[in-house]
Formats: sequence, structure tokens, C-alpha cells
Amino acid sequence: MLDPVAGSLERYMDLLAARQKLVASNIANAETPGYRTVDVDFEQEFRSMVAGAQPRAVEVTGLDINHDGNNVNLDREARMLAENGLRFQVAEALLKSKLTEMREAISGGGGG
Amino acid sequence: MSLFSSLSVSASGMAAERARAALLVENLANAETTRTPEGGPYRRKDAVFASEPVASPFGSAFANAIGAEGTGVRVAEVLEDSSAPERRYLPGHPDAGADGYVAFPHINPVEDMVDLMSASRNYEANVAAISAVKDMISHSIDLLK
Repeated sequence: MLDPVAGSLERYMDLLAARQKLVASNIANAETPGYRTVDVDFEQEFRSMVAGAQPRAVEVTGLDINHDGNNVNLDREARMLAENGLRFQVAEALLKSKLTEMREAISGGGGG
Repeated sequence: MSLFSSLSVSASGMAAERARAALLVENLANAETTRTPEGGPYRRKDAVFASEPVASPFGSAFANAIGAEGTGVRVAEVLEDSSAPERRYLPGHPDAGADGYVAFPHINPVEDMVDLMSASRNYEANVAAISAVKDMISHSIDLLK
């Protein structure tokens, strides 16, 4: 119905939602022994994701592992939380303008 | 929408941190308790967390159909400190043994306070995650307006 840009935006927002869920998991498990930080490979998933496909969660490398085998870094998670929220807002604003465009086309540009 | 199950993930984190804080407060309150129903002094308790897939309050088949798997957390077990109690020489104490020593809990209030601060910070982090996800959900709803 809408143009390909709107389709991409939808995928982008789906992926951000999936990523935010993993961030929530990481925060909830900040003190679980042996838990490893997970994330999605954003760029690769965005390129390869077909509508309806599930993004894969991968372990994040390069984080310090503490004495109980947990490597959750709350600062990283806080940053991701804020970043995902803002990216989502941007995508939402863009998608909203697409929808407004469509609505105006339907109603004849407000003249009809 | 997978965003809604993110709320369950963060809620499980809040519940686990709250349970842990309850145990830590119990430890502080009982730092000098020499009598328990099981006999002997109070023993320090601590929670062990384990990750767990979240159960969505909504139809799980629908929730699982979209988005990457989120992992919640639960209190797997409550560990009791098994180290020897601290013995203090108080011959006049009603719980003193024949040798005049009283067994007191092996509790370091500083350790519990530090753990309590960390439980409280982690709780706040989960609250922040909930409010961020809530913002995302309400922004998606705005698309309908």
C-alpha cells in the first residue's frame, strides 16, 4: 500500500523493538551468574531481514567478564536503551509523515 | 508486538531485585538475633538469580511469533550462610552456653548495605527500561492518530 521506504521503516522499527527486548533482558539479568550480554547484529539483520523473519540474538564480545561469569555492563545497556528509544522516535516521525501523505492523497489534499 | 513482552522481562528483573532486597533487609534486621525457630543464631541469606524465558500474560504463541527471544530472571534459590557463627563471651546472656560464649550471626552490615545499594540500583535500571519501552509503545500508538 505504502511505498518501499515505509516498508523499510516498519522493518527498522521491528528490529529496534527486538533489540530493546534484548536490552531489557540484559538489564534484568545484570546479576545472574554466568549470563552473557546479547544483542542483534543490527546492520546485517536489517539488510537480510525479510518481513516476518525473526532476528537472531548473538552474544556481544569484548565486554569484561566479572568473577561470576556475568558480563552485563549497565552503562552500555543504559546507552542502548536511550539510543533505541530515540531511533524509534525518529522512525515513528518519518512513518507518520508517510501516513499523513497517504491520507492527504485520499482526501484530495484537504480541498475535497 | 514484542515490545509488550519486554515489559515482562523488566518486571521479572524488578521482582527478583525486590526479593533480594527483602532478604538483605532481613539480614540487617537480624544481625544480632541469637534465637531462631530452627534453633541457634540467625544465618545470613542471599538470593541466587537464574535467567528464565518470560511467560507473556497474553497468548504466548502469538507473542513468540514475533521478535528475538527475551530472557527474564527469577530467584533460583535462597542460600543460607553455613559458616560458623561468631562467638562472643557473654556469661550473663540467657543464650550463653556452658562455657559462657554466645553464638551470634555471622553478618557484616556493611556487606549487606553495599548489596542493598546494588539491588536498588538494578531495580532502578529495570524501571528505566520499562519506561523506555513504554515510550516506544505509546509512540507507536500515536501513529494511529
